[in-house]
Amino acid sequence: MKYASLKKSDLNDWLKHLQKKAKLYAPRKKENLFVFRPVKEVEDVCLEYIPTILPPKKYYFPQKEKLLKFSSQPFKTAKAIEKFDEFILFGVHTCDIAGIQCMDVAFRDAPEDPNYLNRKDKMTIIGIECLKYCDEYANCTSMGNHVPRGGYDLMMVDIGEKFIIHINSEKGERLVTKLDYIKEASEADMNALERVREAKKKIFKEEFTAALPKVYDAFDKRFASDVWKDVGRRCVACGNCTAVCPTCYCFDTADDMELSLNEGIRYRIWNSCQMDDFAKVAGGEDFRKGRDGRQRHRYYRKFKYPVDKYNRYFCTGCGRCTRTCMADISLIETVNSLLKEEAL
Amino acid sequence: MLDREILLEKMRTTPYLPMKAKIIEAEMVTDKEKFFRIQLEDKLNLGHVPGQFVMVSIFGYTEAPISICSSPTDKGYFDLTVRNAGTFTNKLHQMEKGDILGIRGPFGKGFPVDNMFGYDIVIVAGGLGIVPLRSLIRYIMHNRNDFGNVQILLGCRSPKELLFEEETKEWMKRSEIKFNCTVDRADPDWKGNVGLITTLIPGVDINPTRTYGIVVGPPIMYKFVIGKLLEKKIPDHQIIVSLERRMRCGLGKCGHCQIEGVYVCQSGPVFTYSDLKNFKGECHEKAV
Amino acid sequence: MKKQSKPRVAFFDFTDCEGCQLQFANMGQTFLELTNLVDIVSFREIMSEEGQDYDIAIVEGSITTDNDVTRIKKIREKAKVLVAFGSCATIAGVNGIKNRSSLELAKKRVYGDKAGTINSIKAMPLDAVVKVDYYILNCPPYIPEIIAVLKAILMGKPYPLPNYAVCVECKMNENVCRYEKDQECMGPVTRAGCNSWCINNGNRCYGCRGLVEKPASDAAKDILQKYGLKVEDILNSFTLYNDSMGEKYDQELK
Repeated sequence: MKYASLKKSDLNDWLKHLQKKAKLYAPRKKENLFVFRPVKEVEDVCLEYIPTILPPKKYYFPQKEKLLKFSSQPFKTAKAIEKFDEFILFGVHTCDIAGIQCMDVAFRDAPEDPNYLNRKDKMTIIGIECLKYCDEYANCTSMGNHVPRGGYDLMMVDIGEKFIIHINSEKGERLVTKLDYIKEASEADMNALERVREAKKKIFKEEFTAALPKVYDAFDKRFASDVWKDVGRRCVACGNCTAVCPTCYCFDTADDMELSLNEGIRYRIWNSCQMDDFAKVAGGEDFRKGRDGRQRHRYYRKFKYPVDKYNRYFCTGCGRCTRTCMADISLIETVNSLLKEEAL
Repeated sequence: MLDREILLEKMRTTPYLPMKAKIIEAEMVTDKEKFFRIQLEDKLNLGHVPGQFVMVSIFGYTEAPISICSSPTDKGYFDLTVRNAGTFTNKLHQMEKGDILGIRGPFGKGFPVDNMFGYDIVIVAGGLGIVPLRSLIRYIMHNRNDFGNVQILLGCRSPKELLFEEETKEWMKRSEIKFNCTVDRADPDWKGNVGLITTLIPGVDINPTRTYGIVVGPPIMYKFVIGKLLEKKIPDHQIIVSLERRMRCGLGKCGHCQIEGVYVCQSGPVFTYSDLKNFKGECHEKAV
Repeated sequence: MKKQSKPRVAFFDFTDCEGCQLQFANMGQTFLELTNLVDIVSFREIMSEEGQDYDIAIVEGSITTDNDVTRIKKIREKAKVLVAFGSCATIAGVNGIKNRSSLELAKKRVYGDKAGTINSIKAMPLDAVVKVDYYILNCPPYIPEIIAVLKAILMGKPYPLPNYAVCVECKMNENVCRYEKDQECMGPVTRAGCNSWCINNGNRCYGCRGLVEKPASDAAKDILQKYGLKVEDILNSFTLYNDSMGEKYDQELK
């Protein structure tokens, strides 16, 4: 079976089924926004949502993750986590799936990061395709992530009364078979899917004023642009943009001693290139002073450096950095300003 | 298994887990710098390349990147020389012979010794820059016939900051290695040169296309020294530097050591001047 | 740490509400574990006997009289380690409101015609008078941070205060931004380290930890514009805790 169909009225039954298979995480409402949370009541799952405050990266790259257990006297070290549990990310937008793909690329690049890969091995991704824009901040079309591009086990598309489910892996297939309410998609279902996709083409338009290769060129040539000075002047260095980014993975390490002052754990904790001491060395020299240089670095880590290194853009188009920015710094505006400058 | 295979396997499977290592010698060598000789558990050889670094762990104080200052030809142990410059290094300075440390590594790309065979070598060391260079100098001394003429230019602020004094005297005695030293400020007993390290370079006699120029020192020093070496017509790819950055994970992930798109902990800390020229603005050490 | 003799800890308070010390009583089991590591020799709120000799002085409250100045200097002389404890001791806190007007006016407002008999000086954090070795911020102090600082003291290492905004921790906790809820919040300019304690619990940040070292005044203006807030709203919240250190910032903002 390649495509299955599920009536919306059976969704909650399926969620209950998934709950039994593994730890289930899905989007739900939090005040006026949305967050991924472990599913307790399936009724709380919300599939019509704008990108969650934090991307699901918190489940495969936790905010604070144990790296090792240690004792000083006698000197002992051990892995902090022996066993990782299976989990399902449910209702993931295609932009966030692109984010997971980016993280895979970075953490698989030798030397591998086993902490990340161990979690990733236990992850099942059930995506949902967006049929309209979440809001004006997203730039998913320019990034090519407004449509599914692999990287998931199952992908749901809302065709009205039903969801069409694209089965993309054996792991995914096992979650939709032997259930009487999930059937193979009929020809009519597939036609409906086709119509939905056609309609979508009229809604999603490229948000940047030029295609990605031009964006890359603009970044390549505009390192010294005044655009960065302007962004730096406005930045308050709150670090929101990097925390909410699905492809920001910088971290710091720290030791937490128990009260014995002998045993403890070493963990890693999200860190950000926007922080004051991020690039400062012991001798006191700060190699990336100033908010302009730090903001520029953040942008280059989406549109330039990973393209050189991995042949992949690390912006997913989710729009979170713009949505969360205290100072109204817009990614679309920044990129377009750069393109405009480059065109002059 | 060979030592090297054991270390690589550890790095692959448990890259964040430090190995147990014992301090077998510890000695203050200046007011601010302490020398440590370290032995890995099971007396494993580190098998590094000169110019690489290790991450030193003290539990409760996390980790710090420290340059290895012994040669891989010094078997059964490795050396570190550390300036007391912060919380971690202050704690490290309190440690003595017999104490246990954690070690991860070796990390990064070292000096391109294989490419340097047969070439003349000019080494320019400023201040603490002599620490990673000691690894290279010892390596060259242990493989002396593989290299052409070797000259060492060493600069530091004052005579009392001079590191590896005994060894320096030994290097000076060896006729096959030319050694020249200068201090910014002399004291009454000082009989050598006074002035910045750049003043020593014009007097150096070299055949530029057959010479590797190796520069390690404080950030401010690079652009001036590189400039002088370029005046000597040494080709860009034969000017070698080692850069200090805030290495944290050693695996090219955590982001702290990045210069533009380059993770210094993996692609460096040793770079050629050709590499440096590609940086657009984040590399302070690039010559103007 | 050497086990033979436990360091002796004494608590002192100056001008404040004494709520900071209560946080030790609120620690529960952890407090008992702490007493395995240190001897508490003087602690008005939960101990009756007053000890004399001490190694570590944990001091809460602001300096507001000449007498306070003499007393804190004596404590400093005797203590090996001096810890400023809570907002009043670290940034002068709420007491700093007094500094908004001239001392004469402040005295007159509070004491009326008795003002002339009152010894009162500008409200100051401890480090305006003596050297402070460790800072435990917050009003009241955040228990995990108290423990982290105590561990640092016992290990003999510094406890560097984070120099980034509360937003960093708040985002990690995935809170809905208070500005989304039309509330002004001091998070973007307030020093982190509290794990966004207040916002996690549905409140907003009042800036009780003091400001980050380099608040961006241009950017702060942009925030105000974005959310349609008045400068006065922000200043009122800033000055609740930050009057003693906020003057420079106020000017830039205006």
